Amino acid sequence: MKITINNKTYNIKKELTILEACKLSGIKIPTLCYHPDLIPEGRCGICAVLVNGKFMTSCNNKIKDGMNIVTTSKEILEYRKSIIQLIGCNFEKEEEFRKWLQLENLPDVKELKFKPQKSEKIDNSCHDIVMDFEKCIQCGRCIQKCRNLQTVNAISYSKRANATRVGKALDKKLAYTDCVGCGQCTLVCPTGAIREKENIEDIKKILKDKSKYVVVQTAPSVRVSLGEEFGMPAGTIVTRKMVSALRKIGFKKVFDTDFGADLTIIEEATELVERLKKKKNLPLITSCCPAWVNFAETFYPEFIKNLSSCKSPHQMLGAIIKNYFAKEEKIDPKNIVVVSIMPCTAKKYESCRKEMEVNNNKDVDYVLTIREFAKLIKNFNIDFVNLKEEKFDNPLGESSGAGAIFAASGGVMESAIRTAHFLLTNKELKNIEFVEARGSSGIKSTKVKIGNTVLRLGIIHTLKNARTILEELKVHKNKYDFIEIMACPSGCIGGGGQPKTTTGETIKKRIAAIYKHEKTLKFRQSHNNPQIQKLYKEFLGSPASKISHKLLHTSYSDKSKCSIKHG
Amino acid sequence: MQILTKNNFNSWKIAQNLTPKNIIKKVSDSGLRGRGGANFLTGKKWELSYPAQYLIVNSDESEPGRFKDKFILEKNPELVIEGIAIAMRATNAKTTYIYLREEYKEYKKSLEKIVKKINLNVSVIVGAGSYICGEETAILNSLEGLRPESRKKPPYPSEFGLFGKKTVINNLETIARIPLVFSDSFDKDLLLFSISGDVEKPGVYELKEGIKLFELLSLVGSHDSKAIFFGASGGCIKTDKNISLSYENINKMGGFFETGIIVVDKSKSIPDMCRSIIQFFNEENCGKCVPCREGNFRLLQLFQVILKRRWKKEEFEIIKNLALHIPYGSQCALGESSTLHLQTALKYFKNEFDSLIF
Ligand SMILES: Cc1cc2nc3c(=O)[nH]c(=O)nc-3n(C[C@H](O)[C@H](O)[C@H](O)COP(=O)(O)O)c2cc1C
Ligand code: SF4
Ligand code: SF4
Ligand code: FES
Repeated sequence: MKITINNKTYNIKKELTILEACKLSGIKIPTLCYHPDLIPEGRCGICAVLVNGKFMTSCNNKIKDGMNIVTTSKEILEYRKSIIQLIGCNFEKEEEFRKWLQLENLPDVKELKFKPQKSEKIDNSCHDIVMDFEKCIQCGRCIQKCRNLQTVNAISYSKRANATRVGKALDKKLAYTDCVGCGQCTLVCPTGAIREKENIEDIKKILKDKSKYVVVQTAPSVRVSLGEEFGMPAGTIVTRKMVSALRKIGFKKVFDTDFGADLTIIEEATELVERLKKKKNLPLITSCCPAWVNFAETFYPEFIKNLSSCKSPHQMLGAIIKNYFAKEEKIDPKNIVVVSIMPCTAKKYESCRKEMEVNNNKDVDYVLTIREFAKLIKNFNIDFVNLKEEKFDNPLGESSGAGAIFAASGGVMESAIRTAHFLLTNKELKNIEFVEARGSSGIKSTKVKIGNTVLRLGIIHTLKNARTILEELKVHKNKYDFIEIMACPSGCIGGGGQPKTTTGETIKKRIAAIYKHEKTLKFRQSHNNPQIQKLYKEFLGSPASKISHKLLHTSYSDKSKCSIKHG
Repeated sequence: MQILTKNNFNSWKIAQNLTPKNIIKKVSDSGLRGRGGANFLTGKKWELSYPAQYLIVNSDESEPGRFKDKFILEKNPELVIEGIAIAMRATNAKTTYIYLREEYKEYKKSLEKIVKKINLNVSVIVGAGSYICGEETAILNSLEGLRPESRKKPPYPSEFGLFGKKTVINNLETIARIPLVFSDSFDKDLLLFSISGDVEKPGVYELKEGIKLFELLSLVGSHDSKAIFFGASGGCIKTDKNISLSYENINKMGGFFETGIIVVDKSKSIPDMCRSIIQFFNEENCGKCVPCREGNFRLLQLFQVILKRRWKKEEFEIIKNLALHIPYGSQCALGESSTLHLQTALKYFKNEFDSLIF
């Protein structure tokens, strides 16, 4: 196709939108509601350009042969200013508006001509997600995620015309909806109107409290994406700088959730072997993703019995810190504060569950997303990029490759199979890199032979795909033995608490980095992690022991009929 | 009035012996154009949609100043049903939905009674009461139970319509004129005008496209007019020249020919008229696009200013900018035409605006 952009002719082979064609030709057009992973709906209007003399939004119109496109002119610039005015004046605080202009690389307008018109207050009703109506420009990105990716439909448009709001019909508070807290909406919100409930101030306060012993743990995927918050390319591994930053901030100990992941694998592989023996409650379905657990409790309570009773890795590690580490170090568990840095918003709610307490003491006291963590680092004026490199604290700092790959969808399955193989046959799996479990497809099914048993495995990410597979399971009850489900695309590596640089592209780079990193680790099976072995020997006894059950396992309940499900 | 012809399903009897292709040819040859606003050739639309799954008869009729569908529903609903029967044969549509605006729900029963005579799958749906539902893609969403927002075109309903199937959408008057196409006295230029405002005899008139403005004004008893507005969305013109009212002419004058005509006399203020039209669009847009949703809201705020004081110069600049910019980034014809009234009023009645500026 031959098209003209700003008087230059281009020959373009592919079927592209005007915006994509311009980008390909090195011409920048400001956008706002557009997001590379979503369907362009043309809501904000800022990307309009002149096409054959007529204005047209460029993000949702395709190029046609012979098109004459003009992307800058006095008229276009005047038009853009009008649009920025219309959006900008709805910000409650002008400095927020300026920040947003900069963030989105939009042309500046000197003076806002109107006053904000929206009066609703912040909806603070949930533990994990906050909705701040003032900042919402109704771009609809969050709705697309909630509706198309997750099929949860907790948020949608309500009312019409100027009264149009993003929220819930009948103006329900978020806590009264089916929201599962996955936070995928927060990843794409251009203004931060829908965001995680922040705990940064709580952390700063507790760090100043001399009577508290504040420790921190970081999830497997934090180390591959945190760098993006400081301008590093996606996939840069910053484990040791991260540890060093946490020490600077003032945490007494820096532990690795990968250790918790190894523990989860031991317990879950044991559970799998048990269930296979008894042929009961199969398929076993993973439960380390709290948004998925919420989804099951709300939409598919009939599958609660299939969920693994294992707590998620950071909850396990929290319980171990407060009940084992505390004893070792002779600290009163009541004075220990555990903070988890997670790629996830749903973990905020998870850590507040009543079931996640041992002797009335929460396993984990606070959860920060990676975005909050980056803010905290900036708050402390730490020059992250030039930090020296430090190692995790021991014990509870050593981990195996199996723990590391928890970050990506398929990782839990791959790690569990490595250990289950050992449990069932007393031999190590030969081909430990279980390629069938990897890759970006949302529904993968495969088989693996362990001894004489063939296990049928399913690996699912996003809740839309979870819905598909569960509907299938309702009909074909005996199709799988073991299923891994993660709510976020590609698992935690695409989690709702990741940096906003998250797109299909950056996720791929992070995953590649994780698998590369895993190859370099000394131990690649959870059961070969010497510190895990020590923990069982000295404290837990054996997997699924009484004390394991008390500290490391949990239960779920049917929430389908509760008015507040996960608020 | 041709539209009041008691046809007794005679054309339907003829059409039953014709192939769909031949019916479409007949409609094409007649030159009949759609009466929903866009003036699109009906035969052509049917041809593009063939074989269609659905026919939607659009009587959301929410354009201010338009009430001709109501007139037909009241006086000659049989002609509508006969038109549907012919259209279903011609387009291959298996199901028809007649979409009535909420205020017209009283006609549902009488329509359903006549439907029994043709033994076809025709349902009458009463809308939720919104102007945007009359837009041809928003009506699809509304019928599918989705939020009434316009959809991106292309794909057009003729390709990807109701529930993803090929769909024909016609205005109720268009459909009512289908049986008349089979008569020798059919006149493609006859349109139903809805006339209201400062006139002695408001009502529905069947007149020819191209009628002289002065003739129309004297017919309806208007003595002291200065402007006519073409509904809310078609803009306005001055009534000092005896132009002929045609799509082409009005287009040249910067407006859009809409048969719901509102006559305004010299006692009225044009900016006041504009304010009530802005109010209308501010309430009736679907809320999707920033320019349309936020722009009309800010325009209204600015027009409320003059109830208390005059405009500052820079306020008037913003008004002029918004009048120009709102259509640029809007996704549907509502937003695109929502400031036509202002653009034309600023052109023809500039003095009235100037007198409101400090
Ligand atoms: C905002 C808006 C409202 C509309 N409302 C109506 C309506 O109430 N009735 C109607 O027939 N067409 C309405 N239309 C035009 C329809 O989109 C469509 O063009 C028409 O129904 C096609 O019928 P026709 O080909 O018979 O004219 C509206 C268009 C817009 C943009
Ligand atoms: S909350 Fe954010 S993502 Fe959702 S519509 Fe508003 S601005 Fe867009
Ligand atoms: S132009 Fe207005 S009515 Fe049309 S889609 Fe956009 S907001 Fe809705
Ligand atoms: S970026 Fe194209 S309309 Fe918003």
